[in-house]
Amino acid sequence: MNVISPPPAQQAPPPADVSRALRGFIADVGPTVALSLESCVHCGQCAEACQFYVQTGDPRYTPIHKIELFKQTYNRELGPFAFAYKFFGLAPALTTETLTEWQDLVYDSCNMCGRCSLICPMGIDIADLVEQTRHGMYQAGLAPQDFLGAIAEKERATGSPFGLTSEKFRDLLHEIGAAHGVEMHVDEPKAEIVPTVSSIDVKTYPGSMAAIAKILNHLGQPWSFRTDGFDADNASLTAGDRAGQDAVTQGIVAAAISCGAKTLVMPECGHSFTEMRWEAANAYGKDLPFRVLHITELMAENIQSGKIRVTKVKQTATYHDACQVSRRGGATAAPRVILAALGVDLHELEDAGDANWCCGGGGGVALIKRAQPLRDAAFAIKKKQIEASGAPIVYTSCSGCRQTLDHGGKASGWTTTVGSLLELVADNLAS
Amino acid sequence: MTLLSFARGPGMQVASLIFIAGMFWRLFGIFLLRRRVAHAAARHPFPIRLLGGAVTIFTRTIPRRTFWPRVGAGVALSYVFHVGLFIILFGGAPHILIIHEIFGLSWPGLPRGVIVIASGITLAALILLLVRRLTHPVLRLLSKPDDYISWAIVFLPVATGILLSGETIASYGTLLALHILSIEALMIWLPFGKLMHVSLVFAGRFVLGYNFSRKGAAT
Amino acid sequence: MTAADENLGEMLARRGFGRRGLLKFAIAMTSSLALPPGMAVAMADNLAAAKRQSVIWLSFQECTGCLETLLRTDSPTIAALIFDFISLDYQEALMAAAGGAAERTLRQAVAANRGKYLLAIDGSVPLADGGVYSLTGGKSNVSMLQEFAPDAAAILAIGTCAAYGGIPKAHPNPTGAVGVEDVITDKPIVNIPGCPPIPDVLSGVLVHFVSFGRLPALDDRKRPLAYFGTTIHDQCYRKPFYDQGKFAKSFDDEGARQGWCLFELGCKGPTTHNACASLKWNDNTSFPIESGHGCLGCSEPDFWDQEGGFYTSLAGGTGPGWRDAGIAAATGIVLGSAAAISARRNAPKGTTET
Repeated sequence: MNVISPPPAQQAPPPADVSRALRGFIADVGPTVALSLESCVHCGQCAEACQFYVQTGDPRYTPIHKIELFKQTYNRELGPFAFAYKFFGLAPALTTETLTEWQDLVYDSCNMCGRCSLICPMGIDIADLVEQTRHGMYQAGLAPQDFLGAIAEKERATGSPFGLTSEKFRDLLHEIGAAHGVEMHVDEPKAEIVPTVSSIDVKTYPGSMAAIAKILNHLGQPWSFRTDGFDADNASLTAGDRAGQDAVTQGIVAAAISCGAKTLVMPECGHSFTEMRWEAANAYGKDLPFRVLHITELMAENIQSGKIRVTKVKQTATYHDACQVSRRGGATAAPRVILAALGVDLHELEDAGDANWCCGGGGGVALIKRAQPLRDAAFAIKKKQIEASGAPIVYTSCSGCRQTLDHGGKASGWTTTVGSLLELVADNLAS
Repeated sequence: MTLLSFARGPGMQVASLIFIAGMFWRLFGIFLLRRRVAHAAARHPFPIRLLGGAVTIFTRTIPRRTFWPRVGAGVALSYVFHVGLFIILFGGAPHILIIHEIFGLSWPGLPRGVIVIASGITLAALILLLVRRLTHPVLRLLSKPDDYISWAIVFLPVATGILLSGETIASYGTLLALHILSIEALMIWLPFGKLMHVSLVFAGRFVLGYNFSRKGAAT
Repeated sequence: MTAADENLGEMLARRGFGRRGLLKFAIAMTSSLALPPGMAVAMADNLAAAKRQSVIWLSFQECTGCLETLLRTDSPTIAALIFDFISLDYQEALMAAAGGAAERTLRQAVAANRGKYLLAIDGSVPLADGGVYSLTGGKSNVSMLQEFAPDAAAILAIGTCAAYGGIPKAHPNPTGAVGVEDVITDKPIVNIPGCPPIPDVLSGVLVHFVSFGRLPALDDRKRPLAYFGTTIHDQCYRKPFYDQGKFAKSFDDEGARQGWCLFELGCKGPTTHNACASLKWNDNTSFPIESGHGCLGCSEPDFWDQEGGFYTSLAGGTGPGWRDAGIAAATGIVLGSAAAISARRNAPKGTTET
């Protein structure tokens, strides 16, 4: 058993703000979350589904344990027996010490991948509870500053995690278009399809923007990037900044509405899909006037209807599902449609699809520097599975996963190639 | 008033009333919290979502195959206990009799020997579950007084029931009183601790199934 | 030799019952009393030498059922002879004297046997309103008990009423009825409960007292262990059906006709201490269960008030009615709603709640 010891204390961060944490915890609790918080029977099965517990053997990484502070606060403040909890001291009150102690449990060691939610016999969506817990932790000032917290703050201030302005993004898009020989549509007043990007693509995989443009051009419907709402990354979400999360989301919704979009396309990214597909309408307050599709869903749908035509590739490959797109998002089938249409000899991973193991980088963990050992531990599972599949290439449709697999693969010296499904399609469009 | 007449009279009334009031209290306290309307376009229409919720109640009884290597043994042990208890409660003649006295329903009981064996296995499973809870690192970390109180409050009816059925250790009247009192303790405790999972398990699985069916996500 | 000087051995011999017969009787009684068989000879010798034991019988708030049962012996058995031999110096139903003559008889009997008579009581002792609900010659039961108990050698509380209060004590107990042991606490008391009690039990207690000069071993409810040491269930001939799970579900159903266990029809055998299942009634003819009706538990205190009545099984009792259950549910709903409303107020309105 390899126990990862807790990270060293950061240098003089401000003490965790207890009252703000409390308010953050109790702000968004409705019947579903309450039911989840009431239901745990301490069976311990969730630990067995979590890559961090499985790889380290450290019981602190038991998923339901990660949300303990949230649960106790609920019991004391909102539960049916709250008065008894308070009066008889049945649950401890929050302290700066315990909040700080739980920081790495809520952030470093959780991808919000949802495997725990899949195993829980009581039907508790534990991954969602972690997201809720981060609301309180963020309010307390406990989003790890190096660098998830810092990125979320930048996003809050500038609208983009890396401070990319609309102008800079516009220029970048045109550059990419020119470099790849692809027609770019930017800030068109009217567009049926509006794609968005992930900041990881902007930083590391700019070719994906060219790929989107290529495919949308091939599709033939009026489309446009919107620089007034482009960055779907939503680091605020993973940091737990509720207000920041909503601001990013509303910005994208507004941009799509302003050009009369019928379809909003989410990039190769996980949490951005979850947020825009399943949360944006709630932030907006009513039904969205457009569909939200993950890029793989857009491609699969149009491949099936014949509007996107692809040529066959002679490849043997495996596929890594992005947790937020497949298990959490309900779009597990789309990549398989695409791969089948491309004629890829697909060697599925063990537990592929809805029960897949997370790459270890999701949920903001890739943005926490000190969590490297934990990411390595989680990646070890994927490495083993990918190598066991016998495929020399692993495709994925999330830049977060792509980057994590890239980094992990380089560090472990593997020979597998990591590819983007989007770029594979873009490279193999039939003329 | 003897201990037995207390158990069969005022004890039964107080325990039943607390049990009923507590169940409603806890459930209403949860379900009347402020809820939001989900606006995101559902992947499946309402009837399918309802069906998804209902089906999840059953599908979550068995973990997915992929999890079996790591959780199989623990889940199996837990089922041995639960199924054993089910057999005792719904197959044992005196329990069927109580159900008949309250609700008017009745069905043939199982042979006494079957109940005896089931009781012994249930008791053994309970003890093993406690040992597991006390030794497994995850369970040691998670477990609170509630877990141990709930264990004891389930253990006592099973143990006293076995003694009563064996008519051993003390007089029938005393054993019967202790058995009934232990069940009354369980009834009083149930709505307030983790034993509430007897109702929450259905609600939780259904809600998760419904919400995930909304997303077309795996349940 | 006058009849008054005669001992039991001589009296029996006069009636044609020799030592052999007395020894056989003693063997039977030692068995009935659960005494070691070796004591039979001593019992026979003691009985032969015994003088008439004075018994003063006071009837209080009773139905006379206990007396009737004890008299219901079909043939003059040796137990009946013993009863004859004991000097029943006062018993209102049986004695010829009445009124003032009866009262004088009582006083004379007490005076003549002071410290030596057995005081037999049947019927409960009403205490409410100064004991006015049961009077003999204007004197309350409780005052008579208090007057005559101090000079008794021991008190026999015959029947459940005298032992524990019985029928009159059933809710709401308007007469304030109690058992003898609740009034007299400084005399040896033997409770011989049952509604009515088995005749053999009284005979056994008397024989024991006459033979050995002391009362037989008693349990914690002052009942002779020999007769009340086991429950009906322990000795019931239908126990195999109980063990096999064969229960009659209603009177006169197939199971009832097959003689199956009557547990589900409310039989209180498992919690009732008495000898009905072994000694039975009417010279070992039958007992309630054998006749197809569950044991009422009539030799146990408060058997009239037991939860759920005679026909609710021991597995059940008196739960709350549906009305009270509804009130409890409503209470829970109110409390839960109050908690939820308070929580709603407590929580800052978030952007969205799930």
